[in-house]
Amino acid sequence: MIPSIAVLHFENQRWRSPRLWIPLFLLWVPALLLAPLAVLVLAGLSLAGGIGPWRALRVLWEFLCSLPGTHVHVRADGKTVQVRVF
Amino acid sequence: MNENRRQILEMLAAGKITTDEAERLLAAIERGAGTVGELKGSAGGNGDARGTTAKAGCKYLRVLVEADESMTGMKGPTTVNVRVPMQLLRAGVRLASLIPQQAHGHLDQALSQHGVPLTLSQIKPENLEELIDHLEDLTVDVNGKEGNAATKVRVFCE
Repeated sequence: MIPSIAVLHFENQRWRSPRLWIPLFLLWVPALLLAPLAVLVLAGLSLAGGIGPWRALRVLWEFLCSLPGTHVHVRADGKTVQVRVF
Repeated sequence: MNENRRQILEMLAAGKITTDEAERLLAAIERGAGTVGELKGSAGGNGDARGTTAKAGCKYLRVLVEADESMTGMKGPTTVNVRVPMQLLRAGVRLASLIPQQAHGHLDQALSQHGVPLTLSQIKPENLEELIDHLEDLTVDVNGKEGNAATKVRVFCE
């Protein structure tokens, strides 16, 4: 399943962002509209690199679909960054 | 002998699966992971049980790092908590396989300059798949202490 929501949170000693829920599913519509162009560009790039365009497309799609479940939380030097992908 | 074991041994005798695969299937059945048909089916129907054990076992790789400010030189404690889906690791490996051959030399050189002496051309996708599958059994606990400073690193699958 492709990512549908990302949650971002930033914090430092003076400022703290609210938890930002980014609805990635809203990007699907423009992504679908741009898909034919993106496929052409990807096909051109992969052919230039000597890689099968379908293989490149499949691998990128698999990568995108495996992103949900990723959580990153880093706190250093008094600053905090948190990223979650659902 | 139960039906599942008999099926595995028959497949082994017929040369449909290797001894390693038979061993993995037997271990999976002992753990109660499913029937031979289910295990084979979820592994793509080719008798390869490696993917099945990883999928059934753990879904994420967790990396936890905690370090004192005296260790890092930064203000306050430093903590890193990263959870990466195993599927993302697999996809990353496949993504790396898209790197054109011409770029391997440049990447090897850049990696070795940054202290990672890795030769990309020597890494085969099938070896990396196996490595990821075996990450299921991985647990690394490092407790470093230097003077009053302490660092704790944990890497495990969950």
